[in-house]
Amino acid sequence: MRLALTMLWRDWRGGELRLLAWSVVIAVAAVTSVAWLAERVAGATEARAADLLAADRAVETTEPLPEAWVKRAREHGLETGRTAVFPSVVINGERTQLVSVKAVTPGYPLRGKLRTRARPSGDERVTTEVPEIGRVWVAARLLTVLDLAVGDTIELGDSALKIARVISVEPDRGGFVDNIAPRVMMNQADLAATGLIGEGSRVRYKLLLAGEQERLVAFTQQLRSEQGNRVEIETPTGDRPGVSEVVSKARRFLGLAALLTVVVAGVAVLLTVRHYAERQTTGVAVMRALGATRRRLTQLFIGKLLWLGVIAGMLGSVLGFALHLVMLWFVADLLGDALPAPGLTPLATGWLTAIAALLGFALPTLIRLRDVPPMRVLRRSLGQGLFRGLTPVLVAAGVVLALMAWQARDWWLTLIVFAAVAATLVVLAAVAAGVVAGLRWLTRASGKRLLWFTGLTRRPWTAVIQIVAVGIGLMSLFLLGVVRGDLLETWRDRIPDDAPNQFLVNIQPDQLDGVRSLLADDGIDAEFRPMARARLTGLNGEAISADDYRDSEARDLLTREFNLSWAEAPRTGNEVVTGNWWSGDDPAPQISLEEGFAERLGFEVGDTLTFAVAGREITAEVTNLRSVQWDSFKVNFFVLVSPGTLDDMPMTYLTSFYLPPERDALIAELVEDYPSVTPVDVAAILRTVRTIMDQGVRVVELMSLLTLVAGMLVLMAALQITGERRRFETALLRALGATGKRVRRLLRYELLLIGALAGLMSATIATIAGVFAADLLFDLHYPWRPWILLAGTVTGMATVWSAGTWAARAYYRVSPMTLLRQGHD
Amino acid sequence: MNDSSTPALQAEALSMHFSSPQGTIRLLASLELSIAAGESVAILGTSGSGKSTLLGLLAGLDLPTSGRVSLAGYDMTAMGEDERAQLRAGRVGFVFQAFHLLPGLTALENVMLPGELAGSDGVRAAATQALERVGLGARAGHYPAQLSGGEQQRAAMARAIVSQPSVLFADEPTGNLDHATGGYVIDQLFEMNRIDGMTLVLVTHDPTLAARCQRVLQLEDGVLVASAP
Ligand SMILES: Nc1ncnc2c1ncn2[C@@H]1O[C@H](COP(=O)(O)OP(=O)(O)O)[C@@H](O)[C@H]1O
Ligand SMILES: [Mg+2]
Repeated sequence: MRLALTMLWRDWRGGELRLLAWSVVIAVAAVTSVAWLAERVAGATEARAADLLAADRAVETTEPLPEAWVKRAREHGLETGRTAVFPSVVINGERTQLVSVKAVTPGYPLRGKLRTRARPSGDERVTTEVPEIGRVWVAARLLTVLDLAVGDTIELGDSALKIARVISVEPDRGGFVDNIAPRVMMNQADLAATGLIGEGSRVRYKLLLAGEQERLVAFTQQLRSEQGNRVEIETPTGDRPGVSEVVSKARRFLGLAALLTVVVAGVAVLLTVRHYAERQTTGVAVMRALGATRRRLTQLFIGKLLWLGVIAGMLGSVLGFALHLVMLWFVADLLGDALPAPGLTPLATGWLTAIAALLGFALPTLIRLRDVPPMRVLRRSLGQGLFRGLTPVLVAAGVVLALMAWQARDWWLTLIVFAAVAATLVVLAAVAAGVVAGLRWLTRASGKRLLWFTGLTRRPWTAVIQIVAVGIGLMSLFLLGVVRGDLLETWRDRIPDDAPNQFLVNIQPDQLDGVRSLLADDGIDAEFRPMARARLTGLNGEAISADDYRDSEARDLLTREFNLSWAEAPRTGNEVVTGNWWSGDDPAPQISLEEGFAERLGFEVGDTLTFAVAGREITAEVTNLRSVQWDSFKVNFFVLVSPGTLDDMPMTYLTSFYLPPERDALIAELVEDYPSVTPVDVAAILRTVRTIMDQGVRVVELMSLLTLVAGMLVLMAALQITGERRRFETALLRALGATGKRVRRLLRYELLLIGALAGLMSATIATIAGVFAADLLFDLHYPWRPWILLAGTVTGMATVWSAGTWAARAYYRVSPMTLLRQGHD
Repeated sequence: MNDSSTPALQAEALSMHFSSPQGTIRLLASLELSIAAGESVAILGTSGSGKSTLLGLLAGLDLPTSGRVSLAGYDMTAMGEDERAQLRAGRVGFVFQAFHLLPGLTALENVMLPGELAGSDGVRAAATQALERVGLGARAGHYPAQLSGGEQQRAAMARAIVSQPSVLFADEPTGNLDHATGGYVIDQLFEMNRIDGMTLVLVTHDPTLAARCQRVLQLEDGVLVASAP
């Protein structure tokens, strides 16, 4: 092992293996950065399963919790606490902010820790109390947005409450929800006085429970059998979709993105190690002649690789750690400040990747060295074709597949991604090979030698590999940087300037006229839609529940209440795609479903659905499916029923309209007059969502940058392979009187051509992907702009030229004399 | 087994055939050779007569088509590749026509290589000593590319003698060097043969060099014929 390390050091000193080492470092950095990011983000959200509920179990309803339930829970020997959560608005001057109010009873949270600060910048401490009567605790963001300070008073409905503390960590809340609706926490004793709670308001009441498992089960089961679907029992293991699921999806996606870097870096490893092995052949023959056995040599090679893996794994992990800090900084807003300390597992992940990459990509080639015939010391031609053959490539593909499965933890996904990556590589390679073949033909056909093509056409395979490797990196950059931006632009362009940007929800029937005229005073002619909160309870006469579905979004649709409305005729932006819309004279209750909703839940025309609305049941047949143009920002519903079906049900109204920015004050006025009406600023929410997306995208962009770096390494590896020949050609040319300048110019042509091809191809493929995505996924028309291709070409040329010139700088420093004396192998 | 009665090297009925597109090439045909310990033998022959092939077989680098080769009494043709390697280790030294110094290693490290591979102790001291013996002590830290042809040959010599082998094989040891440059190393070789009793097997096409050996053999049509010294 000592000798292996010594020899590794000698190789390194001699400039061998440097690219190989860097490739491993980059691959490890990609994998470890994701591992650390995922570990810490997951730690911040997922690990506290019980905390996320703030209880061992919770009972959720949309009606106020009967006092009797609390008493009964206590009789069962359970600790209890209650929360009521609903959206509302806080006003300061003309500024309004949608908030999420949470009214709590003493004892909250039963599990997990609530952390607060006296001032936004003050020390954080674990709080065991809840806000006193007349006081609120708020998220720091609310203070920023509304320019408030601790000690100020805010109005919540009819009550004026004083801001006493700032909430920094709330157990049962994911960090990023606060961006849309910051938390305002109050004492439940103050709730009634606000006047915000009324018929049809969107309050979610929770009874928090803590205690022994059997008692919890006994109590909740009893409640379940009494109340049926009207209560929802939540457990900490949480089949609830949500933050943890988003995190795990993001983790898998990033993990696979990191593997793209590993694949490209792996190509660099394959190339460099083969070159290295070829250069070692004579040396190994000498060692064998000197008495080294095959076993000894095998040990030496494996030893070298293991050492290299340990060292490169360490360096890569350090780089990965630094990268994960940058990524965390990108997404800091989404996380809140409850990040756990970094663990050591990613370090193991890094080493494992390094060792896997080296043993998978390098060893199959290197190990063949032990078969070098010792006779080679006397006859050069022996042991020549030792490194031909597909085995190393096949082993490498196997290792990549295994690494992918490990990252994705899902065989199907692995196979799909593997196939997609392979297909992309094949397409890129086929196009590159086609172009190179074309150039070859051109140089031949034109008779005279097109000097600047010769570099490419003399080494067609190296050229293809270089183009593909750089192309992959550039392509992911273009996809994320340009195409994604374009798609968003296009989408935004399609939304008319006067598309509704404000929603008003929770308007009581008796407030309808007042709100309508207030808006009309400002010249806004808004349409109001009735709605009721409903829960889906039955399909074709049988009870239906979340347990019948595996898909998390479907489960969510069944556990949460959703909005139900009625309509006489389809609204603009709604189009019946299956079945028929009801006619005025058919008295039977009927249902119209949005097609995506129906598909998700597997409902079809002809099915009979049962809904629970305010404690009553409505059963009706689905007679048609609609497509809905959601991005019109008009009020739309998943489920519509025919007129009359909802008669006598408690209804509220909602509306959407365009509010010019300068008339923001209207909302403040409106909320002042009608405290229970909740305004929702869609534009602000979209901005927030966009910011969140942008932050996520920046993380992925960083990943693609790593892929590009790996692509550069492949480029350099290919230059190194051709380096020997190049050196010799250069020396010859110079000995024949060509100036150094002229020789450099030839290389420059070659690099620029490779860069141009890689850039042009990746920009084209990214654009085509954009066109398909726009058409198939988003129903948009992607703007085809030639400048992207030009920009791609130029970017490719610039990157390849700079990396290539740097890698090849050594060839031109040496005098022709030295070069010729060294000869070429 | 290394007493004076056992030949240092013995070849019996040694044949080597290669199949080529033009048919079978019979390079060596039932060749017989016995070299006593401490002897110096030159093998002369035209280019392509099979000198290098014979040397390789004598050193156990390759196996003959038929016949036997024994090194210090051990029948190498009955051994596997790795056993032969172990037999060679420390017992056999080489000077090649192309020197074959490892380009990434300094002169000293090149000379240390055999000892390192064998896992012996005091490798560095022995290597330094060997370099001094060939007069290259001052250039121990230089890489092969920084050495002249003659110096490279001396480094190769030092590597060949560092483990104090009992047999030294040299294939065109002067390579493309002129007489004056190559001469010093050749003198060293014969001195070691005389003083240390190291068996010397020398392949060359240079009759003057061959003439310095105790025995000169000519490889002709696959067999060795004695030639007047
Ligand atoms: N492994 C081999 N396969 C085919 N032909 C070989 C092989 N080894 C040697 N030869 C042939 O044997 C002949 C003698 O080679 P060699 O021993 O190198 O001669 P010398 O060293 O005397 O010049 C050459 O013509 C060579 O082509
Ligand atoms: Mg020869």
